[in-house]
Amino acid sequence: MKKVFTIAAMATAIAMAPAHAETVKIGYMTTLSGGAGIIGKQMQNAVELALEHKGGKLGGMDAEVIFVDDQRKPDVAKQLANRLVKSDRVDVVAGVIWSNLLMAVHKPVTRGGTLLISSNAGPSPIAGENCHENFFSMSWQNDQTPEAMGKYMQDAGIKSVYLMAPNYQAGKDMLSGFKRYYKGDIAGEVYTKLGQSDFQAELSALRAVAPETTMVFQPGGMGINFVKQWKQAGMDGVSKLYQVFSVDGVSLPALKESALGILGTMSWSPDLDNAINKKFVADYKAKYGGYPSFYAAQAYDTILAVDHAIATSGSKDTDKMRAVLAKGNIPTTRGLLKMNSNHFPIQNFYLRDTVQDADGVVTSKVVSTVFTDHADSYASSCKF
Amino acid sequence: MTLTLILEQAFNGLQAGVTLFLVAAGLTLILGIMDVVFLAHGAQVMIGAYAAAAIAAATGNFYLGFLLAIPLTFASGYLLEFLLIRHLYRRDHMEQVLATFGLILFFNELIRIGFGPAALYSDLPPSLSGFVEILPGTPYPVYRLGVILVGLACAVAIHMFVSRTRIGAMVRAGANNPEMTAALGINIKILFRLIFATGACFAGVAGMMLGPITAVQPGMGEPLLILSLVVIIIGGIGSVRGAFIAAIIVGLVDTLGRVFLPAMLRLVVDQATADGAGPAVASMLVYIVMAVVLIFRPTGLFPAKG
Amino acid sequence: MRAVFPAIQLVIDGIRDNRLLWGLIAGFALFPIYTHVADLPFWNDVAMRIMLLGMAAMGLNLVLGYGGMVSFGHAAFVGIGAYCVGISQFYGITNGWAHLGFSIVACGFAGLVIGYLALRTSGIYFIMITLAFAQMLFFLFVSLEAYGGDDGMSVDRGEFGFIDLYDPLRLYFLIWCALALVSLTLMFIVRSRFGVTLRAIKSNESRVEAMGLSPLRFKMVGYVISAVICGIAGTLFASWQEYVSPDIMHWTRSGELMIIIILGGLATLAGPLLGAIVFLLLEESLPLLLGAVAPAYAENWMIIFGPLLIMVVLFGRGGLTGIIDRLSAARGNADHKADPR
Repeated sequence: MKKVFTIAAMATAIAMAPAHAETVKIGYMTTLSGGAGIIGKQMQNAVELALEHKGGKLGGMDAEVIFVDDQRKPDVAKQLANRLVKSDRVDVVAGVIWSNLLMAVHKPVTRGGTLLISSNAGPSPIAGENCHENFFSMSWQNDQTPEAMGKYMQDAGIKSVYLMAPNYQAGKDMLSGFKRYYKGDIAGEVYTKLGQSDFQAELSALRAVAPETTMVFQPGGMGINFVKQWKQAGMDGVSKLYQVFSVDGVSLPALKESALGILGTMSWSPDLDNAINKKFVADYKAKYGGYPSFYAAQAYDTILAVDHAIATSGSKDTDKMRAVLAKGNIPTTRGLLKMNSNHFPIQNFYLRDTVQDADGVVTSKVVSTVFTDHADSYASSCKF
Repeated sequence: MTLTLILEQAFNGLQAGVTLFLVAAGLTLILGIMDVVFLAHGAQVMIGAYAAAAIAAATGNFYLGFLLAIPLTFASGYLLEFLLIRHLYRRDHMEQVLATFGLILFFNELIRIGFGPAALYSDLPPSLSGFVEILPGTPYPVYRLGVILVGLACAVAIHMFVSRTRIGAMVRAGANNPEMTAALGINIKILFRLIFATGACFAGVAGMMLGPITAVQPGMGEPLLILSLVVIIIGGIGSVRGAFIAAIIVGLVDTLGRVFLPAMLRLVVDQATADGAGPAVASMLVYIVMAVVLIFRPTGLFPAKG
Repeated sequence: MRAVFPAIQLVIDGIRDNRLLWGLIAGFALFPIYTHVADLPFWNDVAMRIMLLGMAAMGLNLVLGYGGMVSFGHAAFVGIGAYCVGISQFYGITNGWAHLGFSIVACGFAGLVIGYLALRTSGIYFIMITLAFAQMLFFLFVSLEAYGGDDGMSVDRGEFGFIDLYDPLRLYFLIWCALALVSLTLMFIVRSRFGVTLRAIKSNESRVEAMGLSPLRFKMVGYVISAVICGIAGTLFASWQEYVSPDIMHWTRSGELMIIIILGGLATLAGPLLGAIVFLLLEESLPLLLGAVAPAYAENWMIIFGPLLIMVVLFGRGGLTGIIDRLSAARGNADHKADPR
C-alpha cells in the first residue's frame, strides 16, 4: 500500500512539476562592422526590441539570440553559418542583409535541415529554381519593390522615364523588375559605378535629355549622395524624381529636408495603421531615438514569425515550424502576412511620400496602395 | 549630344580633376620625397571632411567650419608624422603598406566610434547654393565652380611655392635626391614633417569641399585614395606638375568616359552588348589608361627622379 | 634505384631544415582527431579556410617574399581558379580534376600575360599596375551577368571520382594534400638554382644581369608559378565555399594575403601558413574579446586590429617566424642558424 502511495505521489509530483523550459536558439547574421554597419545595427536593435516585447520568450520558450557579424564577406558568412548550425546548434538561422551572402549560406543551412529566414535579401534564384523548403523570406523578393514602382507609374499615365541604377546585379534586377510593369517610353537607362559618390556628370546628361520623370535605385551612401546632388543641381525643375530603396530610415537622417517630396514604393511604412506596427515604431523611436527603417521592421517581423511558428505548432521542431510558416497568416508589422508556395510573402506595396511629421522630423508616409497581395514572378519555377 | 553638353561635362571633369589633384599632390610628394607609401592619405580627406562638418554643425557657419578645419588637419598631419610616419622612412614599401593599412582601419573605427556609423548631415551654405550660366542655357552650381577655383588656386600656390621659394627649392631637391639634400645640411626632419602636414592639409581641403555634396561617412576617402594613386603613377612620382596634368586627365577620362562611352559603344556593337559592357568598361577605363601609360612609360609621364 | 635515394635524402633534409613548416602541416593532419574527440566539427571548417588562405599566401610569397615583386593583384588568380569551377559547372562539367586542369591552364595563361605586361615596371609602379589588372578582372566578373555578376553563383563540390567531397573529412584531406604538395614544390623551388637566382634578383638585379642571365625571364617564371598556386587554392576554395563571386578577387583580398605574409615572415616557407593561422584566429577572436571586455564596442574590433598591424611592422622584424627564430636563438638553439629561409 505504502509503495503504491509513494509511486502515486511521485507520479503526481512529476505530472504537476513545470515542464523543463526548452530554449529556442536563433543565430542572427548581419553586417555590424564596416561601412554598412548602420543597417546591421538597426536590425539588431529591432530584434532586441522584439524580444523585449515578447518578454524574452518566443512561443512560450526561452529565447536566446546569437548575433554574428558577417563583415559583408561571403566566406565569413559561410563559416559563421556553419558555426551556428554545427557548433551552437541553433534552431533557426536568420537575418542576412546582402543577396550575395544569402546565396553563399543558403545551401549549407537549408540542406543541413535548419530553417533559414531572411530579414532582407531576396535574390531570384532562391525564389525560383534554387528554392528550398527550409527557406522563408520575411522581407520581399528583390524585384517586387521596383515592380510596384513600375505599376504605379504605368497606371498614373506617366509617358516617359529615365532610369538610373548602379552597375551590379541588384541594380540590374531593380530596373528589369521596373520594366516588367512599366510599358511607357524609357528615355534613358544609365548604370553608374558601384560606390560612386559624385553624380554631377550623370545629372548634366540627364538635364540634356530633360525626361518627364526619373526613377533611381541608389542604395546606402550612394542614395545620400545622389539625392543631395539632385537637389543642389536644381534638378527638381527639370524632372520629377522617384526612387526605390534610396530614401529610407537609414538615409533620411543624413538627408533631412532635402528629401522632402520624393516618392517611392515599399512594402512597409512607419505609419502603417495596425497595432503591431504602431507599438513597434513608437517603442523603437523611444528607445533608439529615430524612426526605424524597413530593415528594422523586417528584422522585427522575423522574430515575430519565429514566435508565431513555435506558439502555433507547440514545438521548435523544424518540420512543425515549417508547416506553420508555410501556411502564412503571420502577425507582423505589415498586418497578417501571407506566404506564397515558394515561401516568399504575398503582400501589399505602397506608394510613399517623404514628409515632415508633427515634430518636424522627416519620415515616410503612405500615399496609396499600388499592389494588393502582390506575389513575386519566380514562384512558378520553384519546385521543392 | 551637343557641344554645350560636352563642354558642361568637361567642366564636371575639371572639377573632379582638381579635387583629385588636391589629394594627389600631397601623396606624390610624400612618396617622391620621403619614399613612403602612405595609404592612409584617404583618412586625411575624411578627417578634413568631418572636422569641417562638425564645426559647421556646431557653429551654424559653413565658412567657419572650413577655416577652422584647415589648421586642424594640418595639425593632425604634423602629429601623425611625428608619432608614426617618421619611423617608417627606412622600412621597405611592403611594411609601409601594412602599417598605413592598419592606420586606415584605426582611423575609420575611431571616426565610427566618435561620430557613429551613419553619415553625418552636411549641406551647402545658402550663399553658395545658386547657379551661374557658364554657357547659354547651362546653369552650373556656384559651389562646384567654387571648388574648381579653389583647386586651381591651390595648384597655382603650390607651383609658385615649389618653383619660386627657397623652401620650394629644398622640396624639389628632396624629390630629386633626398640623400644629397640631407648631406647639404638642410634640416631634413623638419622639412619632411612640414611637407607631410601640408600634404595632409590639402587632402583635408578636398574632403572639406566634398563634404556638402557627398556623404560624410567613415571610409569616404578610400575611393579617392585609389584614384589618386593612379594619378600619381600616371603623372610620375614626386612631380607636382605631373600630378596636376594626370589629375585633370583622369578626371576628364573618368567623367566623360562614364557618360559618353555607352553611347559611343552603341555605334560599334548592338544595344544589348553596349548596355552591358559600357558601364563595365567605363569603370575599368582609368585603370586601362594607367596600364597603357605604364607599358610605354614605366615611370610615368613626368617623373621627378631623372 | 640509385637516383631515388638522393631524392628521398633531399626531402628529408628539406623537412629537417623547415621544421616549423612541416610541423604545422603535420599539425593540420592531426587536427581532425582533436576536433572529433572534442566534438568541435565546426573547427575543421576554420582549419580548411586557414589552409586555403595559407596556400594562396605561399604562392604570393614566392614572388613577393623571395622575388621582391610586390603584386597587389594575386587575389585575381584565386578568383580565376574559383570561377573555373563555377563556369565549368555552368556548362555541365562537374569533374573536379577537370576543374583543376582548367584552373592551372587559365591561371598560367593569365599569369603569363599580366606578368609580361607588368614586369616591365618595378617598385611602386609594379604595385599599381598589378592592382589595375586585378581591378579590371574584378569589374569584368561583376559585369558577367550570365555567371551571376556580383551576386555570384552557387556551385556544387567538384566530383573527384572516388573522393566524395561531401564527406567533410575527404574535402579536408584533399585540401591538406594540396597544401603539402604545394609546400613540397615550393621547398624544392626555393632551394634550387632557380630559387637562388630569384632571390639574387631581389637583392641586386643588375648584378644578375651582369652575369648574363635574364632577370625578366626568371621573374616571369616565378610569377606564373605563383599564379598557378593561387589558382589551385581558389579552385579548392570554391568547392569548400560552394559559392563563387567576384568578392574573392577584390583588391582588399590581395591586401589580406600581403598582411598574412608579412605577419608570418617574408621570404620564409612557414611564414604564410603561420600568418594565415594568426590572421584568421584574430578575425575570430578579436570581436569576441572586445565583446567580453566592452560589449558596446564589439563591432569596432578593427580599432585594435589596425594598431596591431602597425606594431607588427614597427617591432616585429621578420614577422612571426622572425620572432620565433629570435626566441629559440635566445635559448641557445644553434640549429636554426642553418635554416635556408
